[in-house]
Amino acid sequence: MENTDKSLLDAHRQGDATAFAELVRRYGDSLLGYLMRMSGNREQAEDLFQETFKRVHEKAHTLRSEHFKPWLFTIATHLAIDGLRRRRRLKVVSLNQKLDCDEGRCEELSAVAVADGSCEPSQETVRAEQAEQVRLAIESLPDRQRATLVLAYFQQLSYAEVAEVLGCSVGTVKTQMYRALKTLSQRLPDVSEEIK
Amino acid sequence: MKGHLTDKELIEYQFKLASDIQMEEISGHLESCAKCREHLEQLKEKFAALDLLREDVKVSEDLVSQVVEQVGKPARPKVVSILRPRWIGAAAAVLIVGLILLFANLTEQGTRYGPVKESPTLHSYGDGALDKEIAKKPAERLLVTRAKEEKAELEGEFEQPSGHGVRRGATASQRVPAEPGPPFAPASAIELVTLPRRDKVQLTIYNSADLTLVRERRNLTLKKGWNWLQFMWANTLIDPTSLSLEPLEKADKIDIQQLVFPARLRELGRWLIRSEVSGKVPFEITYLTSGLSWRAFYMGTLSQDEKTMQMQGYVRVGNNSGEDYENAQTRLIVGKVHLLDEIAELARRQYPYGSPWPIVHDKKYDYSALIVADELSFKSRSGVNGFFEDKELRRKEITKEGLSEYFLYTIEGTETIADKWGKRLLSFEAEDVNVTSLYKYDEERWDNQTIRFVSFANDKKHNLGEMPIPNGTVKIYSQADEPVSPSASRGGQGYLSYVGGTGIKYIPVNEEVELNLGPARLVKVEPKLMDFKTDNYVFDHKGEISGWDEIRSWQIEITNTRELPIEIEITRGFDTAYWTLQADIPFEKHDATHARFKLNLEPRIERTFEYTVTTYHGLREEVLP
Repeated sequence: MENTDKSLLDAHRQGDATAFAELVRRYGDSLLGYLMRMSGNREQAEDLFQETFKRVHEKAHTLRSEHFKPWLFTIATHLAIDGLRRRRRLKVVSLNQKLDCDEGRCEELSAVAVADGSCEPSQETVRAEQAEQVRLAIESLPDRQRATLVLAYFQQLSYAEVAEVLGCSVGTVKTQMYRALKTLSQRLPDVSEEIK
Repeated sequence: MKGHLTDKELIEYQFKLASDIQMEEISGHLESCAKCREHLEQLKEKFAALDLLREDVKVSEDLVSQVVEQVGKPARPKVVSILRPRWIGAAAAVLIVGLILLFANLTEQGTRYGPVKESPTLHSYGDGALDKEIAKKPAERLLVTRAKEEKAELEGEFEQPSGHGVRRGATASQRVPAEPGPPFAPASAIELVTLPRRDKVQLTIYNSADLTLVRERRNLTLKKGWNWLQFMWANTLIDPTSLSLEPLEKADKIDIQQLVFPARLRELGRWLIRSEVSGKVPFEITYLTSGLSWRAFYMGTLSQDEKTMQMQGYVRVGNNSGEDYENAQTRLIVGKVHLLDEIAELARRQYPYGSPWPIVHDKKYDYSALIVADELSFKSRSGVNGFFEDKELRRKEITKEGLSEYFLYTIEGTETIADKWGKRLLSFEAEDVNVTSLYKYDEERWDNQTIRFVSFANDKKHNLGEMPIPNGTVKIYSQADEPVSPSASRGGQGYLSYVGGTGIKYIPVNEEVELNLGPARLVKVEPKLMDFKTDNYVFDHKGEISGWDEIRSWQIEITNTRELPIEIEITRGFDTAYWTLQADIPFEKHDATHARFKLNLEPRIERTFEYTVTTYHGLREEVLP
């Protein structure tokens, strides 16, 4: 039987080093995806990822219920939003960033395009541009709306779970989601059939 | 529903944001309205762009490792601090005063307006009730217990938790049997004494057995009472069964109670120390480790006349133990050590004394596992000093006893030997070691090659003899050009040429050693068979040959193309013990079947000598005395 999240966290608190690694692996992909969509940058997402699990480690004793996943995403959301605010105040450019990329984004985008492998190079370029437009559109959303959209649409959390993560009511989540979608409907690019 | 659906309604429908009733209404409308269906499709197409960012993101194993490393230390359990901020005290004081005033006011009112029912809340915290309340909060209870214990210790007592009795004024060693057991080994690093940097470290490296004894001196800061000291050996080759801890001062006031290997926590051990003193105390930690090694090698530089040699001995110490040793006094053991256990194997074991899990456990933390570990560690103890009495370790004491048989080679001063580093250290240097160069020719051993030898003795006469010379390799160089100064003739300057190298075995003091430097290109020996005949046949009664002599005449040509005079030793074998020899130079019978010629040749000279050997066969063998 698979260990519950809580039992793994408890085992970690008792000093079992493998338990924490199991938790990281269990939620790693999902969390990193969320943070990448929130931050728009893999490097920052990985920093936030590390910071999130560091907080999980530090605050492990505060988790009383079995709801580890919403708790994890709550921590990640707070960190991501804080990070976004800091970034807005202080433009951060990584020294590792490729010089030919705009704000460090092309690496992820090209990775998306190449990974598919089904497109022609020209289509890949178009697709990469569109993906960039989508990313910019999402980035333009207010933080809470963005978090709501990413959690509900990309991470496929239920609205109730999103509400738990964001610490608000389901009604508020739906309102935020609607506002986000309304904004996006005006900003998202038209995706042609062949590229879809 | 009147008219067509709005964008808002369609979005809410598509993303299930609408209420159930609205969803049904919209669904019903869409069934009957083609335009709205088309509008919905357009919206879906628009939002399909979001899927461009729906790629799978995978966490790399590196990132997982980084995260796990980052939180490598066990999580901090929640501990409520006794030392609350000052303002809490002030607030509590205000509250209490307020309550007193309120109570006084109520009492006054009660007196005025009649009796007031007592508050059950206030009374529930009467005698013993507080303990009950605390019992609901294990973390706080633990804290209070410790607080009580610490308070008692400050008063000079060693009070045990209730039910275990108190012994006043007992010494640390006396207290041990009466104590019910040490405090439970904390699962986290909290309250552990931090292991400070080493003050001194001594390494005794046995290269023959991949074994090193490490003795470290560290100043530990102890608090009065129980102390846990954590020692970790992750990623090292330390043998955890060999760990030992001894106070170097105040030994009568410090009692090393036990070494615990907590279950679920790997590659760490925790010493439980009972201390009657607080503050810094020097301790010695000893253990055995694998991965440190040393080997000796030597460099000899022959003088131009090749009669003396400057000799330097080096020791190369390598460290693959996983641990850095800074400023370590390094001692090397020369000689073989008999070991029953491979330290590296012991170090790699998951659990120091076998698995602490007697049965298959689920993931839930099981305290019995630790008890098993404790019992094992207690079983291995016999006496206060503990672990070196262990059965497994008694085997190692054999090696310790044997130490006096071996030679201890101490490197002067201290050296820093970092992990994965090697270090070459000069072990000795001797000037003007008298050497003898000798060329040897023996077809049975080296075919038709002349081999060069250099020999010397490890004694005072040769400016050596202070210590045995450990096994190692020797490389011999010689001056390749004219010296530019008198000192150069002793190898101080001038160019060197490589003469040859060889391995040497352990050379005790006063023993002679001969170094084989390999084939000599400038000294050649060419034997030529000049004549062969048989003679003196003996026949038996049937007329068949029953004995005869073989007579061979040999010419040996020796060419010395060197600039130096040489001494050469030529050994000739005859395949029989029945032989006689006539030669135009002196020879000696080396053994039953060999004769040996020794010659001194001047520089750049060619010399020839001849000999005739008669070998006797069959009945002719009886001719010889």
